[in-house]
Parts: sequence; C-alpha cells; structure tokens
Amino acid sequence: MASPDITSIEVLRSQLAKAIQLEHATIPPYLTALYSIRPGANTDATQILRVIVVEEMLHLTISANLLNAIGGKPDLTVKGFVPSYPATLPDGETDFTVGVGPLSPETLKAFLKIERPAMAPAGKSRHVVRKSDDHSTHLCTLPEDATLRYYSIGEFYAAIRDAIVYLDQQAKAKGETIFTGDPKRQVTSEYYYSGGGKLWPIVDPASAAKAIDLVIQQGEGKTQAIFGDSGEIAHYYRFLQLDKNRYYQQGDSPENPTGPALTTDWSAVWPIATNLKLAALPAGSELYDAAVAFNSAYRQFLALLTRAYNGEPQVLLDAVPRMFEFRNLIQQLICNPLPGGNGNAAPTYEI
Amino acid sequence: MSPFVKNPNRPDLAALQSDSDYDAIVVGSGISGAIIANELAQAGKRVLIVEAAPETDRTYEGYTEYLNHFYGQSAKDNQSPFPINPNAATPRGSELRKLDPLETNSSSYIVQSGPYVSDTVYTRVFGGTSIHWEAKTPRMLPQDFKTQTVFGQGRDWPIGYEDIETDYETAEREMGVSADVEDQKYLDLKFRDSYVFPMRGLPPSWLDEQVAQGIDNSQVELYGERYALKVRPFPQARNGIPNPAYDGGKGFEPTSAVASHQIDIGGRCQGNTNCVPICPVQAKYHSGKTLAKAFETGRVDLLSQAVASKVIIDDASGRVTGIETKVYHHVSSPAYKTVTLRARLYVIAANAIETPRLLLASGLRSKSGLVGRNLMDHAYLLNWALMPQICGTTRGTSCTSGIVDLRGGSFRRSQAAFAVDIHNDGWGWATGSPSTDLVELVDDGNKFGRDLRNAIIDRVSRQLLLAFMIEVMPSESNRVTVDPTYKDPLDNMRPVVSFAVPEYSMRGAAYARQFAKTLFARLGAEDHTHYDPSNYGFIAYQGDPYEIRGGNHLAGTHIMGSDPSTSVVDADQRSWDHDNLYLVGAGSMPTIGTANVSLTMAAIAYRSARKIIATLNH
Repeated sequence: MASPDITSIEVLRSQLAKAIQLEHATIPPYLTALYSIRPGANTDATQILRVIVVEEMLHLTISANLLNAIGGKPDLTVKGFVPSYPATLPDGETDFTVGVGPLSPETLKAFLKIERPAMAPAGKSRHVVRKSDDHSTHLCTLPEDATLRYYSIGEFYAAIRDAIVYLDQQAKAKGETIFTGDPKRQVTSEYYYSGGGKLWPIVDPASAAKAIDLVIQQGEGKTQAIFGDSGEIAHYYRFLQLDKNRYYQQGDSPENPTGPALTTDWSAVWPIATNLKLAALPAGSELYDAAVAFNSAYRQFLALLTRAYNGEPQVLLDAVPRMFEFRNLIQQLICNPLPGGNGNAAPTYEI
Repeated sequence: MSPFVKNPNRPDLAALQSDSDYDAIVVGSGISGAIIANELAQAGKRVLIVEAAPETDRTYEGYTEYLNHFYGQSAKDNQSPFPINPNAATPRGSELRKLDPLETNSSSYIVQSGPYVSDTVYTRVFGGTSIHWEAKTPRMLPQDFKTQTVFGQGRDWPIGYEDIETDYETAEREMGVSADVEDQKYLDLKFRDSYVFPMRGLPPSWLDEQVAQGIDNSQVELYGERYALKVRPFPQARNGIPNPAYDGGKGFEPTSAVASHQIDIGGRCQGNTNCVPICPVQAKYHSGKTLAKAFETGRVDLLSQAVASKVIIDDASGRVTGIETKVYHHVSSPAYKTVTLRARLYVIAANAIETPRLLLASGLRSKSGLVGRNLMDHAYLLNWALMPQICGTTRGTSCTSGIVDLRGGSFRRSQAAFAVDIHNDGWGWATGSPSTDLVELVDDGNKFGRDLRNAIIDRVSRQLLLAFMIEVMPSESNRVTVDPTYKDPLDNMRPVVSFAVPEYSMRGAAYARQFAKTLFARLGAEDHTHYDPSNYGFIAYQGDPYEIRGGNHLAGTHIMGSDPSTSVVDADQRSWDHDNLYLVGAGSMPTIGTANVSLTMAAIAYRSARKIIATLNH
C-alpha cells in the first residue's frame, strides 16, 4: 500500500527517530510513578509498573533496531529528545498530556490513554488536524506538517509499517533494498531480554513487521485482545488491573477480570510535585544538587544507550543496571519536601 | 515468561484418605520431590505431594512475605526470611552452643549429641531448602564416583560419571544453569562434544578479578605433584544470558519468577548479594519452578501442613501400604488430625536428615542397619583477610568464582580435597560483618559521621573471605538417630545427630589453612582469620585451632550401593527392603566429593523417575 505520509527513506528514518523518542518518552513518567511508591507498599502496582518500564526499554531497543535496519543512526542525545513534560500525545480526536508525577488515579488515567488500543474508525482519516497552540513536546506528529497528528499511537506505527513495505517494494523494483543497515548494529536477545519479549535482527520487511506488531501488541493489545500471541498481557490491560482491582487471566473479557484480587493504597505514595523544573528549586540547595545529579546520570544513561544502538550492543549490559542507580538518586529527591510546602521534590528530566 | 501456578490443594481430608487412585505419594517438595512429581505427571501419572510446611509461599505474595520478613530482620542469617514453625521446625545456627564432653543439647530442633556441633541447616518451607540454597551447580568429578578404588577412601558409587552425564544435562536444563563449558573443563571433568550450558557464564565479580591477578599462573606442590592454580567461575543455577547455541541451536528460554499472575521478573540475575537466604527476584532456581509445571498438568495434588509420621509396611511382603501423616491446622497450634494416605508407590524426598528420621521413627532400619548412618556434609573452613586495595566487596551475587584445582588429585589418598569459594559478600559469614565492623569502628576507633561512613566503606569493600569446602567421606559413626525422649509438638521424634569431623577431612583443613596463608601473602592481603575456642565449631587438630562450619550439603543417610547388606537403596534409589519405596535425595549419595550436592541429587532424581515410570507402566 502506498503510504501518503512517508514518501522517502529519509522521511521514514525521521519518523523512526520519532518512534524512538516516543518509546522513550513514556519511561520517565512510568519510572517516576514506580519509584513514587513508598518502600514495601503497593507490591502489585510496583510489579505492574516495573514490567511495563522494562518492556518500554525493549520497545525502545526495537525502534532502534528498526532505524538501524534501514541505515539510520539512533541518537538519544540530541537536543529535545527528552520531552519537556507535560508532553502531548494523540488520543483519537483530542490530545492529552502525560506528565511526570506520583502514582495516583489521575496518573493511571493518563497511562491508560497512552496504552489504549485505538485505531481510526473505518473510512476515517488516520490523521487529525490540530493547531499547535502551546509549546509542549508533541509526539506522534506527521512528517513536516506539525499541525497534523496521527489519530493514535497505533496509527503512527501503522503508517511506518505501511511505508516500510511500500518503500522496499519500490527499491526492489530497482534491484535495491531499503534494508541497508549493518546487521552488526542490531541488538539481539543476548544483550537484553525481559520476561515477555525477545529481540531479533531486523533485516527485511517481514522481520520489521514482526517487530512493529510486538510493540503494538505489548502496548495496546492484539486487536483489543488482552493477551498477545505469546500469551502475554498487554500494557493497557496490565494498567487496567489497577483500576479494576483484579488480575486478568486467560479467557477473561476486558470488562470482567477473574484472576486474583489486588489492591492499591493510593496514599502510600510520596506526595511528589508534578512536572517539577529545576527553576523551582533554590539554586545551591541540596535538592537542587540532587536534581542536577539525577539529570546528569540520566544523560549518561542516554549516551550509553546511544552507543549500544550504534554498533556496541554489549554496552547495553552495563546500561541497564544503571536503572538501579536511578532508584537511589530519585529516592534522595522524592523523600524530601520542597520549600514552601508544595509536596516533595521529584526528578525533572531536564536533559 | 513467568510460569503460572495453579492451585493444587486438596483440603478435603476425608476424601483424600479414601482416594486410593494415586500412582505415587511424594513426601517433600524440594528439588528431588519436585522433579519426580513433575516427571511422573508429564508421563500421565497421578501424584500427591505431602509437604510439612504451609503452602502460602507457593504464590508470589507468599514469596514476597519472605522477602519483607528478611528485609526487616536485623540478623540476616540463612534462615532469617522463614517464619518459626514449631510443627515442622527448621534448624537454626543461631540456637547452637558448644557442648561439654558427652553432653547432648536438645534445645535446638536437631538434638546435638556431639562431639562436634554442626551448624548445618535445611529449610522446611514449601520448596524445601531450594528457596535458600546458593545455587552453585558444579558436577562431581568422574574420580569422585570411585574414590575407594582409586584412592582407598570412602565408597564407590554403583554407577559412574558416564552413567549420569545425560541426567546432569537434564538437571542443568531444568535448573537453568549459567556457565561456559570452556571454564568447566578441568581435572577429569568432561562434557559431551557439542555441549553448551543453557545460559552463558555469569560475569565474574571485580573481587574475583583482583584475586585472579594474584593467583593465576601460580602453582602449589602437594605430595610430590604440582597443581597449577587459576580463579574459575562456578556454574550457577541463576538466570544469565541464554546461549543461542544451546540444544543444537534452539536456544534456551529462562524460567522467571513463579506467580499466579504475570509479573515477568527474574528473567535475569540482577547481582543482588543475598542469593542465600533468598533471591529477591527469583532469578535463582527453586523447586517451585518445577512444581508450577507439575501442577499445570492437573495430575499433581498438594497436601500441605502435613508431616509424614509413619511409613506403614505390610510385614509379609515388605511393601509400603500407606503413609501416616499428621495434618496440623495452624503453625501456632499443635492441634492435628492423623490421616493415612495411600498410593501404588511411595517416594520419600524429605532431605538427608528428615528422610532417615521418618524411617527410623517408623522402625525401619533396613536390613543393612545403615538408615541414618554415613551422614555427610561438607566441612567449611573460613579464612578472611583485608585486601590492600578496594575490591568492591558486596557487589555481585554471593559467590561467582573460586579455586577448584585441588578438587581432585592423587593427594586424595592421604587428605581431603577442597574447593575454595571467593565470597563476594565480605566477612559476614565469619565475623557477622558489617554490623561487627560498625561496632568496632565506633567503640574502638571512635569514628562518627562522615569518617565513620568512609571507614565502613574502606573496611567492607576490601574484605576477602575464602571459604574452603572440604570433602567429608562417609563414616558409619556419623549418624542421625531418633529417641523418644526428644519429640516435637506433633509428637514426632526429632532427629538426633552425632557427628565428628573425620581425620581425613581435618588433614585437608590443615592444608587449607596453610594454602590460605600462602594465597593471602601472594595477594598482599592482611590475614584477619582467628578461630575462637568458645565457638561451637572449634576443633583443635595437631595443636592448631580450627573452626569447622556446616555446609548445608547433607548427604549419605540412606546410602546407595549394589549390595543390600551394605547399602539402603539401589542405583535407582529404590529401597532394597521395600520394593515400592524410593528414598531420593542427597541421602542416597555414597560420596559427595567437592561438589555442592543439589545438581547431582537432581540428576539421580531423573534416573529414579525413569525407573518409577517404567515400574508403574509394567
């Protein structure tokens, strides 16, 4: 199928760079919500958030593999790669924002929106026109035209999938291929695996489509099914378990999970400020220094990932344990109140 | 993917008692019991597992309770996560004291009748000691199977290395072993040509590398032979990087944590330093992973809080006709109901203390008279020192590498072999560090504030603990017995242990101490080892002090052999006296060499499972 949005390999590369940005953009909100839980409390919510963060890392790596496969160069260190939170994401006809804050019923609603299965209704355009009326980072935009957004994250990926097929067919007609990347740059399962997902080298349209399907299935679910092909629960339904206070098991309908019960104590969470910025912290204070230290560690983490995605996959083995360091650094912030009684401090992710 | 665990409970005691359609009853849910139950279930057989402990920890929530309990304990000893349960008590090292000559101490669950007091433990929870084990999985050496023939020491096995090599491979798959074959080919250890372990070797710790710099390429001479030394990684049943070459290129999928809902944790070891007593993420194998598969078949039921109290024998045929079992209602109450459970065949897999305890309490000493005798455990000698440089101690898993070059050799004619563990968790085992360091730095060093913090970091991160795991050969006078004087709240007789560290092992210990001093000198490390005469493990040998610690590698009490008059079970772990009774576990092992016992125990469980299935099909 011709893809009217993505008409050249250059545009495809830039859209895949946006996909990498998108996959990463969910990590700071999820990670902060995870660490905002007080130690020992809310083990169910902790597990659910932890799995999802780990799988977002997997999706990030898959997006990098896709870009590498077609001769691109992932760069997680470019200015603006980490959005200024709150960031804007599409959700059907309207946008919504996702911010960095404590785990709460409101945060959960935003997380559900991120992962909600949503494709444009049949016969309707996968694009939505919206004026850019603010300065926040808009994710899932169309190439070039910033006033056009995709209907949903699902549509954003569907356009990429179509373009890969279309552009490779065009290339084949000329005896070429768009899969010109060095296979050595592919990150495989040796270097990263989570409980529910594997990495494989992306070398052709089939392996690329499989990769995109995995990202969509783990996120939104397979055509709105709770469990993916590998029997794994989609992120949307993982989060929904926190709303429904019960786990899903095989055979359940979305409305009615029948697994073990779970509870969330929304008060057993540090009262951290939402979308805190360095500017709100007194310069030279210990909190300010701790926030700077975290941002610096996070910047180094992104630099390590960039190396891992540029021909040194073994670096990923060293990068992932840095997530433990984040926990310690974040805890220094979130356990301490802000001056003026506006809740506790939080990581600012100003990279 | 995390295995889902079904609810296998059978709380209906009356119905259970009249259910005579079980192919097998397995007593114990540790590694041996789990493997046998799962193998039988996969072959279509119906199994009842009888477990002395509550089953709450079968679930992720129960496991998390252990973790929270562990985090909250000030003394993090090897039983600290596990709650006190008087009805199925667990031995605890913290309860021990030195004995006067001829004294018996019955204040701890294992009655210590001396002369040596062993702090060896096992854990009576669902999953047995596999929840607490360290997960080192070296194979035994081929020479370990015939020590009597080759060295004139111990006993020969009725089977050889080549007879269980395939079962070793199966056990390594089930337990998910991480290792590289090239690191494990030493002495006479050999592997099938194309064999690779399921997962790649875990990375050595920084401490390992620092020790290796001082040790590699050095040599020692022993009884006229030279042995080259090298720091080598241990194979471990902890999830690492799957080896794509495994199983002819099919690869391997690690088994992560067991839960009743998807948690996807434990796919890979995170390097936490508390493998013992409990892995926080279940990257370490425990038998619950095998049991989850067994329960999934729907053919395996579980009766928990059920302490087997008597094996009932038909006097005419010698066959087992039932297992009398005491089912208690709550850990805090000794109230119980007695039921008799029946099946075609019976498997006792309750560990090398509890299995002979049950048999002896049932009046079954075997024609050989050897039930409970030949009790073995590795004798541990600890040596500790401060490295000249910061070595990052407390980083990495409990132990990643060691020195294994003296596991075998002609010197075994005269003295015990040993393997040396380089401990990544500092001096804790030897001295109670880091809390003892804190007390010393405050009380004796007058440190406080930032100075104190820095002093603790400097002290702990230079700590080197070498644990020498010394082989102990079978000796009939080392034994488990029972005595009606000593009973538990359910009126079951408690185990009484009499043990002396054999001279052969003490010769190994004496050499180990000299060896440690030599290593410390090579490393420029300051030896802090001292053995306290008031400690229960203190032994004076040839005028020198030693402290021998238990290794929790209990074995030998229903020893395997080819002659019913000199052994309790045959090479398939079938009782010579009762042909529908199998006694499985390390208790069957005639020798333990210098290998942690679990892998070999698992391998022989596969062998027994094949025999049991064939017998049931016959």
